Amino acid sequence: MKVIKGLKIGGLQSKIFNLVLIFIVALIAAYSGVLVVHQKNLTNIVREASEQQQAAIETVTEETMAAVLNSSLTRSTALQAYIADDLFADVRADVLTLQAFAEELFAHRDSFAAHPVSAPSLANDGVPAVMLIHEEAVDPADSESLGLVANMSEIMLAMYEASDNLASVFVGTADGNMVLVNDRSGIYIAEDGSPLPLDIRHRPWYTQAAEAGELIFTGVELDAYTDNPMLECAAPVYHNGELVAVVSADVYLSSISDYVNSTASEGNFVCVVNADGQIIFSPATEGVFQAKVSSEAGDLRESESQTLADFVTQALRESTGLREISVDGKVYYASGVPLPTVGWAVLSIVDKTLTDQPTELMLDNYDQINDNALSTYEDGAHRASQTIIFLTIILFLMAITGALVVGKRIVKPLEQLTKRINSQLKGGAAFTMDDSYRTGDEIEVLAEAYADVTKRTQNYIQEIITITAEKKRIGTELALATRIQADMLPNIYPAFPDRPEFDIYATMDPAKEVGGDFYDFFLIDDDHLGLVMADVSGKGVPAALFMMVSRILVQNYAMTGRSPAEVLKAVNDQICSNNREEMFVTVWFGVLDIRTGKITAANAGHEYPAMMLTNGQFELVKDKHGFVIGGMEGIRYKEYELQLTPGSRLFLYTDGVPEATDARSEMFGTDRMLAALNIDPNAAPETILKNVRAAVDGFVKEAEQFDDLTMLCVEYKGKDNEGTI
Amino acid sequence: MLNIDKKINGNVLTVALTGRLDTTTAPELEAELKENLDGVTELIIDMGTLEYISSAGLRVLLSAQKIMSKQGAMTVTHVSETIMEIFEVTGFSDILTIV
Repeated sequence: MKVIKGLKIGGLQSKIFNLVLIFIVALIAAYSGVLVVHQKNLTNIVREASEQQQAAIETVTEETMAAVLNSSLTRSTALQAYIADDLFADVRADVLTLQAFAEELFAHRDSFAAHPVSAPSLANDGVPAVMLIHEEAVDPADSESLGLVANMSEIMLAMYEASDNLASVFVGTADGNMVLVNDRSGIYIAEDGSPLPLDIRHRPWYTQAAEAGELIFTGVELDAYTDNPMLECAAPVYHNGELVAVVSADVYLSSISDYVNSTASEGNFVCVVNADGQIIFSPATEGVFQAKVSSEAGDLRESESQTLADFVTQALRESTGLREISVDGKVYYASGVPLPTVGWAVLSIVDKTLTDQPTELMLDNYDQINDNALSTYEDGAHRASQTIIFLTIILFLMAITGALVVGKRIVKPLEQLTKRINSQLKGGAAFTMDDSYRTGDEIEVLAEAYADVTKRTQNYIQEIITITAEKKRIGTELALATRIQADMLPNIYPAFPDRPEFDIYATMDPAKEVGGDFYDFFLIDDDHLGLVMADVSGKGVPAALFMMVSRILVQNYAMTGRSPAEVLKAVNDQICSNNREEMFVTVWFGVLDIRTGKITAANAGHEYPAMMLTNGQFELVKDKHGFVIGGMEGIRYKEYELQLTPGSRLFLYTDGVPEATDARSEMFGTDRMLAALNIDPNAAPETILKNVRAAVDGFVKEAEQFDDLTMLCVEYKGKDNEGTI
Repeated sequence: MLNIDKKINGNVLTVALTGRLDTTTAPELEAELKENLDGVTELIIDMGTLEYISSAGLRVLLSAQKIMSKQGAMTVTHVSETIMEIFEVTGFSDILTIV
């Protein structure tokens, strides 16, 4: 593993680190995605809401405008009705009545006496009174018609008193006199008490009625005495086709004026225009809609604004409906209705900015609010994203630190574990569990398992050391035992250098360290040589122990001079008396009479000996067999004799020779053995044994030696040879 | 290698041996017999397919013979010529009941 700044690349720590990193990146990506979608949604919501609200505002303002216009028009209509029906119609009726009455007077002037009429009197000021007014240059006394028209005094007075709207009722004669009824006598009297003259025949009501030849309404005129705005309704009186008088009534216009003025509000008002296109009533204090006396007022029909001119022209003729006019760069909604009685028109004017203003204002406000909200939202979003970035960085750092710390915590015990294991492998102390491994996770389990394994391994090692030591000791002992066993048997050759009568040679090769075979030869006396060949059942140490006992017993009993059969019987009985292991030994025991070459022998279950008589071949001697020694108590053995002639040889062996087995489990057999013996049957015993051994080895080859291999060969040379060697 | 095929029929135990009865395999037969001889009155050892018997094998036969002498009888059957020769050499032919 590569190590960069203490972090093992590919190690658990870096894996955990990577895992956390991936997790964080995924988290941030998911979070950012959600944020972006969320922000987009929010923007859409804001935009949709904004559009909806704008639409709503427009609808509401349109409705508002419509309501405003409708209300203005309603008021115009109401005003028209008021003026036409209640006011002007009454006045008109009154004036027509007076005209008719006056014409009646002139038509029947002979029937009426002159009616007295007096000058205005201060005493009458404040009460309705009939008074005489005349032109400065006219003397009422010269008048022919004054007394006549004065007959109308009573009716005029009654008319005046009956109406709230009449400021004055009067009749002017063609000769410059006038009978007047009102309650303001004082204003017609000069300071010196003389009545004030009036240029009667030049007053607008007189001239206009005379000119028109029928009932007329004057424009709005200021009262000659009080400057109050008023309207005069006048009608000419003719007698015989000649103008004789003009009857007239002044109408107070304060109620109309008050009403019109009351309509004034910001950009929305009602005004009245007369038949000449002049504004006669208006709350406007400036501009084209301002009311002025007829001498100063312009004709709106000739306005520079074509839309205004067309509108007014139409309004004096018919109801216009809603029109849009522009005057002096300002745009108005306007609606006009004619007043046929007087030939005027009522105009409703609404400043377009008034209707549009709320919309624009509200839209502006709304945009402002929206902008504010948006900027607030953006500020908030910005702050939020800053906070998020900050938190993400903190989270990132914390996660990395956490990953490193956790990774370290996981990895450290593992590293320590590895270090400890390595040091242990180098021959350090045993691994033991300690607190640094108690992580509560798999590492603890691993450490525990490893501690357990270590402990057990140590035990095994200790055991193996002990066993090895034991084995070594046993091996040493066995090697010693092998030597002892070998040394126990006669093994120094020539064995009897001072006995030329015979030559003897024997070998024992145990299959294991110690064997159960044995041979023995010993001089019982000067003339008798004991020969023993034996094979203990089994191999190894038990067989070796049993063999040692058997050998000593055979030799001991033999040395007593007993016959071979007796020796074997004694040995058998001795062994059977205490043979719990039920081991047994086959024994061939013979005694060679050195002088005669006669062998007396007994066979306790042992192999047939092979004998070669002088210059002959080795052959098996099928002797009589008894049962093995140690098998059964009380066995009797049979003896037999063999006669050796000088040059004869006797070969004794254990079953290890014929039963030597090759790799194919084929046994060497007695035939091969005899063949080997007969390779050089006259050779010295040592050579003969070597020949057999060579043959066995050649046969067995690489197969393991299975049984003890023991051989003995004695050559009888005869008494005659005594002293020749 | 030794194959031990044993059949128990009442008190009669028949043990058929195949292969080599030598130092290595003799303990197997010894253990088998030690386990199964209780209450057996007749032990038949079939040597029809036995190839070889060593002194260690003879020792097991001797032990069995001694036990069976006390509680019944033991016979050895189908003894081959090779085995018979060993029995004769070792004198076992005198103490075993060979059929």
